[in-house]
Amino acid sequence: MKVVEYTIKDELGIHARPAGMLVKEAAQFKSSIKIAGPKKEVDAKRIMGVMSMGVKQGDAVKLTIEGEDEEAAAAALETFLKENL
Amino acid sequence: MFGKLKGLFHADKAIEITAPVSGTAVPLSEVADPTFAQGILGRGVAVIPSEGRIVAPADGTIDLMFETGHAVSMTTADGAEVLIHVGLDTVQLHGKHYQVRCQDGDKVVRGQTLIEFDHEAIRAEGYDIITPVIVCNTEAFSSIHVEKNGEVAAGDVLLTLHKQ
Repeated sequence: MKVVEYTIKDELGIHARPAGMLVKEAAQFKSSIKIAGPKKEVDAKRIMGVMSMGVKQGDAVKLTIEGEDEEAAAAALETFLKENL
Repeated sequence: MFGKLKGLFHADKAIEITAPVSGTAVPLSEVADPTFAQGILGRGVAVIPSEGRIVAPADGTIDLMFETGHAVSMTTADGAEVLIHVGLDTVQLHGKHYQVRCQDGDKVVRGQTLIEFDHEAIRAEGYDIITPVIVCNTEAFSSIHVEKNGEVAAGDVLLTLHKQ
């Protein structure tokens, strides 16, 4: 199991577009990927779930990744978060 | 025998998503934002609004009413996860020109007002007011058919979905 923690820097938080991009990135991997924000934990491969977290600037998110490609998924998603959020 | 067939058809009843706003329906591919145009958020259709009111496209429950009023997502009673995104990049308006008329967790009925907005003012600020209507859980359906192209009135059938 791999864990990635990140604090959202983007002033708009995770709104529709970044949610879609994050899900697209997560969906490339076979591993189970959960994302947790201050309010709840959801499946990072489901757009509605990721949007409904309502994550804002300054919120900490935690990705929990488990599966055969967890190393690659953790690296890719950490890069995605840093570059986009 | 016909009764049986009728029963079969009934089991595969189409799920109807009606237009959340009156205006002009256009294919999603014509939306000037790749997140929508490439279907990253799911399949659907877009409406260029001619009025400033978004209504529920089906009976269901509000999952997320963005505080900024620029988008709302809901799960319909039939299990479709629908996102209505009012304008492109309009998250940047931080709620200006939008009035929220529902809350997370609200049970809503088709036609109920969810958002009111000043479409002229939003356009005047330089935003594209085109409103994608997206089925986020596209993978849960065997087909998503766009029923309208061109003029559409709120409440007209916009999309029909069939379950797998």
